Amino acid sequence: MVHEEDDGRADGDGVTRRRPLREWHVEETVEVAVPVRTAYNQWTQFKTFPRFSAVVRDVEQVRPTVTAWTIGYGLLRHRFPVEIVEQDPDAYLAWRGLEQHPTHEGEVEFRPTESGGTAITVRMLLRPHGAAKVLTRSAGVTGLAARLVRAELVDFKHFIEGLGQEGGAWRGTIRNGRVQHDTPEPPRSRVAQWPVG
Amino acid sequence: MQSPPGQEPETSLSVTPPKKWAAGVPAVVHALEYSLEQTSPRKTGVDLLTMNQVGGIDCPGCAWADPAPGRRHRNEYCENGAKHINDEATTRRITADFFREHSVSDLAARSDMWLNQQGRLTEPMIKRPGSDHYEPIGWNDALGVLARELKGLDSPDEAVFYTSGRASNEAAFVFQLFARALGTNNLPDCSNMCHESSGFALNETLGVGKGTVSLDDLHHADLIFLVGQNPGSNHPRQLSALEQAKRNGGRIVAVNPLPEAGLRRFKNPQKPRGVVGRGTQIADRFLHIKPGGDLALFQALNRLLLEAEDARPGTVLDHDFINAHTSGFEDFARHARTVDWDDVHAATGLTRQEIEKVRDEVLRSERVIVCWAMGITQHKHGVPTIREIVNFLMLRGNLGRAGTGACPVRGHSNVQGDRTMGIWEQMPDTFLDALQKEFGFNPPRPHGLDSVNSIKAMLEGRVKVFLALAGNFVRAAPDSEVTEKAMRSCRLTAHISTKLNRSHTVCGDTALILPTLGRTERDVQADGEQFVTVENSMSEVHTSQGRLEPASRRLLSEVAILCRLARLTVDGVGDVPWARFEGDYNTIRDSISRIVPGFHDFNARVTRPGGFQLPNPVNEGVFRTETGKARFTCNERVVPRAPQGHLLLQTLRSHDQWNTVPYTDNDRYRGIHGSRHVVLVNPADLSELGLAQGDRVDLVSIWEDGTERRAENFAVVSYPAARGSAAAYYPETNVLVPLDSVADMSNQPTSKGIVVRLEPTGDRSRPAPA
Repeated sequence: MVHEEDDGRADGDGVTRRRPLREWHVEETVEVAVPVRTAYNQWTQFKTFPRFSAVVRDVEQVRPTVTAWTIGYGLLRHRFPVEIVEQDPDAYLAWRGLEQHPTHEGEVEFRPTESGGTAITVRMLLRPHGAAKVLTRSAGVTGLAARLVRAELVDFKHFIEGLGQEGGAWRGTIRNGRVQHDTPEPPRSRVAQWPVG
Repeated sequence: MQSPPGQEPETSLSVTPPKKWAAGVPAVVHALEYSLEQTSPRKTGVDLLTMNQVGGIDCPGCAWADPAPGRRHRNEYCENGAKHINDEATTRRITADFFREHSVSDLAARSDMWLNQQGRLTEPMIKRPGSDHYEPIGWNDALGVLARELKGLDSPDEAVFYTSGRASNEAAFVFQLFARALGTNNLPDCSNMCHESSGFALNETLGVGKGTVSLDDLHHADLIFLVGQNPGSNHPRQLSALEQAKRNGGRIVAVNPLPEAGLRRFKNPQKPRGVVGRGTQIADRFLHIKPGGDLALFQALNRLLLEAEDARPGTVLDHDFINAHTSGFEDFARHARTVDWDDVHAATGLTRQEIEKVRDEVLRSERVIVCWAMGITQHKHGVPTIREIVNFLMLRGNLGRAGTGACPVRGHSNVQGDRTMGIWEQMPDTFLDALQKEFGFNPPRPHGLDSVNSIKAMLEGRVKVFLALAGNFVRAAPDSEVTEKAMRSCRLTAHISTKLNRSHTVCGDTALILPTLGRTERDVQADGEQFVTVENSMSEVHTSQGRLEPASRRLLSEVAILCRLARLTVDGVGDVPWARFEGDYNTIRDSISRIVPGFHDFNARVTRPGGFQLPNPVNEGVFRTETGKARFTCNERVVPRAPQGHLLLQTLRSHDQWNTVPYTDNDRYRGIHGSRHVVLVNPADLSELGLAQGDRVDLVSIWEDGTERRAENFAVVSYPAARGSAAAYYPETNVLVPLDSVADMSNQPTSKGIVVRLEPTGDRSRPAPA
């Protein structure tokens, strides 16, 4: 069952050119008792997801805009690459799966709360393949996906609140799948510059 | 296992129709046949099951990347890789008796294949001045001869230090350090002859001289161009990545003067559909382009994209990327709009409709990758062609995003790593300063000699000592007769080698053969068993460690040879721990980690499964060019032309060949059997030239110096080559490539664009019926 964008959501913020989802199957929000900067910094340390997640087994940061996720239950494993298409520090990130069939896309919003904490909202649009498309029209299936996302968010809440502070940070901005660097030369890019024959 | 051939095998030419698909079960059969001719089933098994596996041997065959750990096949190699690794692991041995039996003159008359088939070199040998025989010599004496010669030079610049892409990072680093401690930057390498044009063009336009894509990018691209490359024979594992891309819905456009089997269909022998099915179609669209027409093709595509944007503003070009990350767009666009369609047709042989169909493919694709190899780089206009490819990618923002980018496909397994380690005659001051800080001596600053200029310097008597770290320089270099004359003019030539090749037989007054361990073999030093590291075509750095016992107890590793030579030659220059380097390669990597950007924590990171990937600034939004942005360039139009009655020759490898070494006289995919002295020509061109299949001709190249370069007695084969072109095997036809015929800017020999005429010899013997 697909939810469509309501009138309250803008078509981009006018600054970051972000293109929010216009429809989604899952939307879940959790409030965490850490500042936005802390929540955002920890969330974007994708490699640490296996430390709190019940389903994420491994995350490989292939490059700033590409991660490879391995999820699993029991002995079952599935690895899939994900492209981060938009990322605004302390505010927003959007992803899409790079697999053609099936795939998914989604976004995460970080908003400060009046109490000094952070409201984190995850929206996901599932793009199944073939007959599986029928499943996304089922409230039961999308409800299961929503419960899984909810559980992950709660696990993240306990994780970051337990830590109290982030374990790292990547403060770059991504637009249309491409890193926008603010400094002349990010440290990671320091590699041999001479031509290779 | 079979004994080495005593005499040159006598075979006769037969021609069958070219294959329409690559690999499949025949690839497995041929790989095993050759492997078991060379070595035992046990060694074959050990090699193949550890090749390209975590903790195993990096295949020396090519620089293609391995899948991530956990995603590799149990058999992660191709037919040619299997042949190559077991060619090295052969049980055949060359001993002192062999050299007593065969004089240098005798060996110089032998074929490349015969020399290679004799087996592994087992002990140091010397040919003394005036002698026509190699004789055994101890290691200390051999290295002493070389050290004395080097120390006796009037200038360190009278020595040249050549590197082949087989050398490991550690050996390459030590080699360049030794040369610079001696006082010279004369560090030519095989890169000078394969992808130098790529490095120059990419560095100028994107600020980094390496490709920008990973295997995952290929898997998830919407459209992949394969331009001037033959993956079926030269990097067969690329076919697996292309197959994956196709299964993910990607499409492929192949652009080549020959319709190579690997561009058409791939039967993956590890998949049921590859064994009993039809396999996977590779190219959805094949552009049968004339040699050297690629620049015009991409200029035409760029014009079409600009016109598409005119027709539908805001929907074709990636203005965000162009405005934020590039410079020079307006000048480029003005220039691109003046492309003339008559010129495009003359250069490419393609119709406007064919090119417009490719434009439509591009417009339907959000993520595009362009792969290329020596069909692009080995032209006079190789650098402008690659710059135009970069223009093409930038127009729609196909850089720095997943599934997009530039992909120069390299040959030798560590050719990229050797350059990263400082094997370059023009290293920047930042690198030399870091060497000075680490080792306490001031490296020479003037630029040294590349491959072409080294040959010229040898001819002019300015170079007296030639030392090669692996490779077969005499056969890899252009203008064979000139190169051989240059080598013979040296006072001393020395080669660190695993197997015999022609470079050992075309030598200076004194010649040394310094036999070394191969990739397949255990390397035990004072601090225990060692591993080495390599960097593949996609900038992944990982380990390589052999499992077999060395071919001889008298072999030394490349690092050991070089460190011992350095102690005899430059001991006391700076504070270089040569003995420690030899005993423990970790110490070399520690030094590298302090000198080469991107190699921090080298030892810790490289021993993780799969090693680590060097970041590519382009993928982080950084363009370290003169403008600080990716650069659009205006490239002059080039229409390669051959005079009436002439053809444009490209030299190429056969399927059964690794670099300069043919394994057999067969080229299975092209349907050539029993001879390498063939020239492939389009039947319409043959008709115009008054020739027929089976005619015997001399190939004569035309060059501005007026010298007649001739490759004699080749059989004409009617073949679906692009009109106006011819193709013949390397290195046999290197003799036709003039030393001065080089690519603009990169100084790379133009082995894919030689004007030749075919002179009938009068011998009309025809090949056996197909």
